[in-house]
Amino acid sequence: MTRSKAEISASEQKAANELVLLDAITRRDRGAFAELYRLYHPRLRGYLNRILSNAAIAEEVLDDVMFVVWKDARKYRGQAAVSSWIFGIAYRKAMTAIRKEGRYQSLLDRGADVNTVPAKASQDVELIQAALVQLSADHRQVVELTYFSGFSYQEIATIADCPVNTIKTRMFHARRRLKYLLPILAGADEEKDREQA
Amino acid sequence: MNRHDPMSHEQASELLPWLVNNSLAEAERDLVHEHAASCVVCRRELHELENLRDSIADASAATEIPAPDMRRINARIDALIEKESRGQVFLSNIREFFRSPWRLAFAAQTAVVAVLAAVLLWPQIDEPEFTTLTDPQALPEGQYVRVVFKPTLPASDLSNLLDTMNLTIVDGPSERGVYTLRLAANPGTADREAIVADLTSNDGVLFAQPVPSGVQR
Repeated sequence: MTRSKAEISASEQKAANELVLLDAITRRDRGAFAELYRLYHPRLRGYLNRILSNAAIAEEVLDDVMFVVWKDARKYRGQAAVSSWIFGIAYRKAMTAIRKEGRYQSLLDRGADVNTVPAKASQDVELIQAALVQLSADHRQVVELTYFSGFSYQEIATIADCPVNTIKTRMFHARRRLKYLLPILAGADEEKDREQA
Repeated sequence: MNRHDPMSHEQASELLPWLVNNSLAEAERDLVHEHAASCVVCRRELHELENLRDSIADASAATEIPAPDMRRINARIDALIEKESRGQVFLSNIREFFRSPWRLAFAAQTAVVAVLAAVLLWPQIDEPEFTTLTDPQALPEGQYVRVVFKPTLPASDLSNLLDTMNLTIVDGPSERGVYTLRLAANPGTADREAIVADLTSNDGVLFAQPVPSGVQR
């Protein structure tokens, strides 16, 4: 479970590379920007896809995030990792998109009925996705940033711009809710399978 | 938390998700492990969270991410650069214009003329021509007394008293019920004091006092 020295060194190297790229972006280096964009595209796109549940909006928000990176690279002061800074921008943009689109409310509405399981929710993956959709936006963000994006709780606190205890509390509630939802969703799923059989 | 366990169950339990995602600092990670070794609840929770992590990893792997398409963002950046460069061209044109000392002197002279013209041609704002009721005003030439009548004094008695003593109300009553009365003639000091004494001795008068000359209303 522990990170090997090679892994730590690789992650340090990656962080240093990102710093170099960001530094080059402050000097308006388009090549460095393209490299950083390609580096972050899969992580940001996956994160935004899951948070926003809409591929087109996720792509649009991703471009907004990277545009801010281009414009405001000079504002990065190095207090947090480059990844935390970029994900912090993405977090705020995602929350704005959720509020703007009323998406959060519609997701909550969908979440009101725990029996609303996707037709093909026969695997763990789909069950988890169905359960995540039913968490509040704040709780979903913490689960997403922890399990999908691999951030520490301190990094998530930086990204969400709130105290670490708030992150721990959100995770506590998210875990409790998932613990409640997953067996129900799994049960509903099995019932659906039986009906189909 | 037992005697040898430096981390409470609550503390350890809330850190489990980050133990599972391998992001805890070494010291914290060791403490959580140490606690979990002696806590069956945390071990069970850890096992569940590891399963959740694995399923999520599968979900991540199953999600298809399209190849990055930078056309749109490149267009936005191009537009921004163009806008910035237009601003810079404007500024550099201005800088270029003022590089010549003659042009700079001319611009400075024009600015001074413009400021002077503005000062001279600016419409004068007259002071407002009005007075408030509370503005102090000097009393006209004459002899005056200040009097406070009893509130119970009927208006007819007050009128009779003023007629008898040839007094005219010129001001009042004030908020405190003070009247300023003008003496009809221009009596000497002794006469004025006699009038004040008469007023003071009247049952309808609470207070009477001569007004020194030059005092404001």
